[in-house]
Amino acid sequence: MKKLSKLLLALSFVVSLTSSAFAVTIASWGGAYTESQKLGYGDPTAKALGIEINWVDYSGGLSEIKAQKEAGAITWDIIDLFAFDTINGCDEGLFVKFDFDKDFPAAPDGTPASEDFFTGMPSECAVGNILYSWNYAFDTRAFGGKEPKTIKDFFNTKKFPGKRAIYNSALTNLEIALAADGVKLGDGGTRVYRKLLEEGGIDRALNKIKELCTDPNGGCVFWSAGAQPPELLVAGEVVMATGWNGRFFNAEVGEGAPIKQVWDGQGLDYEYFALVKGGPDEANAKKALAMMTNTEMLAGSAKYIAYAPWRKSSLDVITAGEPWYKDGKTEMMPQMPTAPANTKNYFLVDPFFWADYGTEIGEKWEAFKAGL
Amino acid sequence: MSSETKQILTTDGIPLEVSLKKAERKNKIKAFLLVAPLLLFLIITYIFPIGEMFTRSIDDKMITNMLPKTFKEMESWDGQELPPEEVFSAFYYDYKALVEKQEHGKLGQRLNKEKNGFNSTTKRLFRNIKRKKIDESVSIKEQMMKVHKNWGKVEYWQAIKRTAPPYTLAKYLKGMDMYYAADGSIAQVDEDRRIHRILWLRTLEIAFFVTVFCFLMGYPIAHLLATLPMKYSNLLMICVLLPFWTSLLVRTASWMILLQQQGVVNDFFVMIGLVADDSRPEMMYNKVGTYVAMTQILLPFMVLPLYSVMKTISPSLMRAGKSLGGTPFVAFWKVYFPLTIPGIGAGCLLVFILAIGYYITPALVGGASGTLISNQIAFHMKQTLDWSFASAMGLMLLTGVLVIYWIYNKLVGVDNIKLG
Repeated sequence: MKKLSKLLLALSFVVSLTSSAFAVTIASWGGAYTESQKLGYGDPTAKALGIEINWVDYSGGLSEIKAQKEAGAITWDIIDLFAFDTINGCDEGLFVKFDFDKDFPAAPDGTPASEDFFTGMPSECAVGNILYSWNYAFDTRAFGGKEPKTIKDFFNTKKFPGKRAIYNSALTNLEIALAADGVKLGDGGTRVYRKLLEEGGIDRALNKIKELCTDPNGGCVFWSAGAQPPELLVAGEVVMATGWNGRFFNAEVGEGAPIKQVWDGQGLDYEYFALVKGGPDEANAKKALAMMTNTEMLAGSAKYIAYAPWRKSSLDVITAGEPWYKDGKTEMMPQMPTAPANTKNYFLVDPFFWADYGTEIGEKWEAFKAGL
Repeated sequence: MSSETKQILTTDGIPLEVSLKKAERKNKIKAFLLVAPLLLFLIITYIFPIGEMFTRSIDDKMITNMLPKTFKEMESWDGQELPPEEVFSAFYYDYKALVEKQEHGKLGQRLNKEKNGFNSTTKRLFRNIKRKKIDESVSIKEQMMKVHKNWGKVEYWQAIKRTAPPYTLAKYLKGMDMYYAADGSIAQVDEDRRIHRILWLRTLEIAFFVTVFCFLMGYPIAHLLATLPMKYSNLLMICVLLPFWTSLLVRTASWMILLQQQGVVNDFFVMIGLVADDSRPEMMYNKVGTYVAMTQILLPFMVLPLYSVMKTISPSLMRAGKSLGGTPFVAFWKVYFPLTIPGIGAGCLLVFILAIGYYITPALVGGASGTLISNQIAFHMKQTLDWSFASAMGLMLLTGVLVIYWIYNKLVGVDNIKLG
């Protein structure tokens, strides 16, 4: 009996250790992306600071952290988020506001952090980590030598029959639908957002997607985790899939899958970290966040996945170190969504549009899906 | 003779009646203590949460507390034309107070459920307040209408007024694709937002057909199990129970591997020449996938009650039926089948009720056309965080199940159910 109680005591201690505040917990999107974050800057930071960093997977959105807050048990310290979610979360007081140049280290040449980044911050609670792309890839075995080249081809079921995998929410689907419906992207895609805000703009985009999904030659599969699009392509379940370029890169270059990316009509987007207010280990999380987003560390993650680091100074580190990919022979810069060859026709995902109208569009989107 | 002399006393002088009552009470307390843990467990895990769900589904106090000044000013507004300056400024100050407490996001989302477009409308106001663009010394009404054109639309103000009562049935109406219109009557939502009625019908349809498929497949298996000699039937029983003991997720994932277009089943069809390689049928991410996976997963719930009933039917009854001149079919239909009805009732009710609340399997293999109402409940629990709406739909589902149970009781009789 004594032994048993001792064992229980020890066990409960272990349980409390693993679940208590001795580790910084970061929620991210899983798969090849989290792998690149862990190897690129998570583990080195943990080692340098002598703290433990745990990575947990989630599938985006603020609902889980809000539920944690509502339940009074916040278990995440840092969240990897879309830009519009950092805006909404900041508005709702979920995240810690940053004093940018104080909280984050300057570039090696002394440029302050706030000037080392590509664009302005969407909110005071966000610090960027990567620049990624919503593009699409196709199964090279599917069309007998024919290759889709434009965003219109994604919707062209006559020339390229077969099912498509698209993202499980309206985000970026509406943009590409309008682009394929003849709206010129032009200057960073601002025209698309103007069109979407016009009377009937959203319906026009939804109809285009509905056409694709109800076409007997087409059809849609909805994906929600970033690892799914390459999987669906490799399994032959779909012939084309929208997805995140790094995941496609990982499948294509890293694993030799028979897929190829199309950059026409890509949606360029920034990904951000936010620091949860009142998380289990806020102080350590803040330290870790500052280190993970410094020049060297951000460049490190690009060793494992084709996402452009958020700092300009990190790009110099990569260029100087090419071939930068972990296999030691693939040049990373041409694979980046920001490479000149890839940005001939693109739109910049507008976080303010999605922060303001996301909820309403979400309801329409759900109704659209239920009616399929 | 007084009544006291009639009393029978026990050896220690206490009237027998009292003594008996005492003993009985002791027994009652003992019995109650024995069921107390279960009762407590049920109250904590079942009755209390359902009560909580119910209050959550009709509670609308949050918004009443958030906009105290606005509702006070609104009392004197008739709701026909755009409200006066006082209402605008009351709302503005209420909202500003929320911004300071960083609770305005909740308000925007809550109002958005009342009237689409509110979230963006309030967000725009928030940005203007944050940048200190509103001059409080002049008309706030004018400025708010400039911030977003929706502030100049009377529907939006009517929507706020509608949220004044602390309790509402709006969530239940929404579950049926309806809402309170401006004049308080009940109206249908726009066609491109009608979603729940489709899903309710689809849920019923899928649950019904899954029950039918389970019955058609389960009945012969159960019959075979009940009539085979023990050594064979044990083996068959294992075949029924093994999938029953396997994790739901594992089984669903295996169906995904089997049914996908390049999957095992399709490969087999192509190999035997049943279908051409380029026209492989779609059996996943649609209703077909949901039907197949759910039928397989729920089959044991049909087989086991049927088996337990059939096991008790003596084989000599069928022989007697045949010896009286019936063909095997007549003997089966007139003698055997009626005796299995309690098992059929139990199996069908079990499968149907389980199927109605299914959620993981349709979420994984259902695609867009195979998802059910429970997926929508999960969506509101997890994504939109509209827990009150999820509660309302959960209770609607529960009521549906109870109604089905009631109908069943009227038609077949609940005492005819036999689970084993």
